[in-house]
Amino acid sequence: MEEKELFAELSRAVFEGDEEALVSLVQENVDQCDPLAMVEKGMMQGMVEVGDKFSAGEVYLPELLMAAEAWEEAMKILKPKLAATGASLKKRGTVVVGTVQTDIHEIGKNILANLLTTAGFEVHDIGCDAGAAKFLDKAQEVQADIIAASAIMSTTVPYQKDIVDLLESRGLRDEYLVMVGGGVVTQEWADKIGADGYGDLASDAVDVAKRLMDARKGE
Amino acid sequence: MISFLEVLERATSGPMMSAKEYDMKVFIPAVRKVVKKYKIKFDPNEPCPSDNDLADRVYQAAVELYSAVGTYCPDTERVIRFTTREIEEAVYECPKTVYFGEGPDRIAWQGRLPDDNQLPHCHVGSGTNTSEDVALKMVEAYARISKAKTLSIPSLTTVGGLNGSSGSPMEVLAGINMMRIARDGLCRAGRPGMAIIDLHPSCTSGVATIAAANPEFGARKSDGWIVAPQAELKMNFDSLNQVAYLSSWGANIGQEAGPILGGYAGGPEGASVVTVAYALHGILVMRATYHLTYPIQMMPVCSTTPGMIFLISTSSQAFARNIGAPYYALGYASAGPATKQYFYEAAAYLLAIQASGIGIEDVHPNKAVGTNQALPLDSEFTCAFGHGNIGITRKEANAIIKKLMEKYLSGIKNPPQGRDLYACYDLDTMKPDDELCQLYDEVIKELEGYGIRFK
Repeated sequence: MEEKELFAELSRAVFEGDEEALVSLVQENVDQCDPLAMVEKGMMQGMVEVGDKFSAGEVYLPELLMAAEAWEEAMKILKPKLAATGASLKKRGTVVVGTVQTDIHEIGKNILANLLTTAGFEVHDIGCDAGAAKFLDKAQEVQADIIAASAIMSTTVPYQKDIVDLLESRGLRDEYLVMVGGGVVTQEWADKIGADGYGDLASDAVDVAKRLMDARKGE
Repeated sequence: MISFLEVLERATSGPMMSAKEYDMKVFIPAVRKVVKKYKIKFDPNEPCPSDNDLADRVYQAAVELYSAVGTYCPDTERVIRFTTREIEEAVYECPKTVYFGEGPDRIAWQGRLPDDNQLPHCHVGSGTNTSEDVALKMVEAYARISKAKTLSIPSLTTVGGLNGSSGSPMEVLAGINMMRIARDGLCRAGRPGMAIIDLHPSCTSGVATIAAANPEFGARKSDGWIVAPQAELKMNFDSLNQVAYLSSWGANIGQEAGPILGGYAGGPEGASVVTVAYALHGILVMRATYHLTYPIQMMPVCSTTPGMIFLISTSSQAFARNIGAPYYALGYASAGPATKQYFYEAAAYLLAIQASGIGIEDVHPNKAVGTNQALPLDSEFTCAFGHGNIGITRKEANAIIKKLMEKYLSGIKNPPQGRDLYACYDLDTMKPDDELCQLYDEVIKELEGYGIRFK
């Protein structure tokens, strides 16, 4: 298979969430082809396409998740090869995502995590019902740029403020960008608690994350 | 119907899997399979279909789906499964008439059918965020609407000015305080026996719900208590604890669920089937005697797009024709309060659910985001709509909905924010200001021009 055709097939397999086909393609070609090119010129194109179509309402969460699942399985094969060649994927930044304490709604958080991945961020998902300390511990562990906290209910939104308060109390507020979102969260609330960013929809939040990272890098 | 104890036993003995496995390997493939098998297809030109066969196929798909996926219990990481026979038996045995309230305000709520000549159940109020200083007045204003039969009480965002975070003592106090305020408000309106059936929006945790259920604070068995699952078809111990307590108390439990169009269920077709599956879950796992559904679209966030109207219409028809228990739906308009677009969106949603055979509730403005967005005028509109359009058919509704969509669909992406309660009401008299009265008169005339009647 020619490289161009291989990249198109890798992209298609990711877009369709066809884990079996993707893993098979990667296994068959990883020793003959540059693993970085397979990811960036092949698989990533499919991820971007599924992310764009999701944001446009043309595909839904199952398609997004299945693409992410296929991606993860393929990366299990590709990561050691990338490490062996000393190559690394370009990343926009590192984000810790989670749903705040006592809130067990995960769909919005999952969508954000997947869309951030498709946009080239390294994402660490700490799950639901996560206290402020859990967000900070993970952010320190992975040297995150952004902490993104989701809260769906009016009674759980106050826990987003706890994250900002904790960072301030430990003198770490300037180390991390804080983004908030979720069903009842508004820009007004984000401003009130001193968050750096807010997205009405997950796709908006990705754009906000990109802008925040560009600003941080001085671009 | 199998017992609640049997349900709990299955929660500790059913097939084990992670939540991710349940979502990815069980739920998503099963939804796709039944949508295909039962040939459920969304037609944007027919958001409110008049096809009884389609409605019945949605129901059959829901039964098959629920027998395949059951309810996932995250605390035990097990699936509570039911056979088709157990599901059908539960549907057969579940109450078709439920009694709420006391004295002159006591009501019997029965299921309806699509294109039915029966008055729909008119439920009013808002379980959305409301400031402490107006909560009492809001309850009183809602209860003064004589056509309203049951009430939702507001969700208090603060207690003594402090935020009521979930799981905290503040949430317990918010629940208790709102219960006291609500009963007081009903008495002030002269309807002390009116049933509150959204208990309890200030409480998201089990402990707060159970605390607020103490009759000392005004709660009654003749009220209704809604218990929420987690998306999709998951039920944790906190929610099951509420069911254990409320069912032992003899209270009416309402199954509430907000399936997500664009979420795990996929498009309008899958989300319609999942909405009905939630009712089956409600009867069996939650021991529900009545059902509230509020599906919502992920992007754009609201309930009034063509896909959402199809979802709520077909799932309501499937429920009405095959289950027949008390059922009502709550919609979310993209537009803010006191705007013409809000009323166009609300009218489209109400047309769909009334014609499809279920009870109606006022559509919440501004996607229910923000505080003090709901207005008593929204509830008056809903009740006048319900009484004015008795007997409206799905075919008639579909034609009007399409015309209304021409007016509001382009405005959904960047909807007007409108004016909140403080901006457009006299809070002493709880009457809308002149600007809102004029807008309301104009929009009613306009809607009447489309064939919608108000009484």
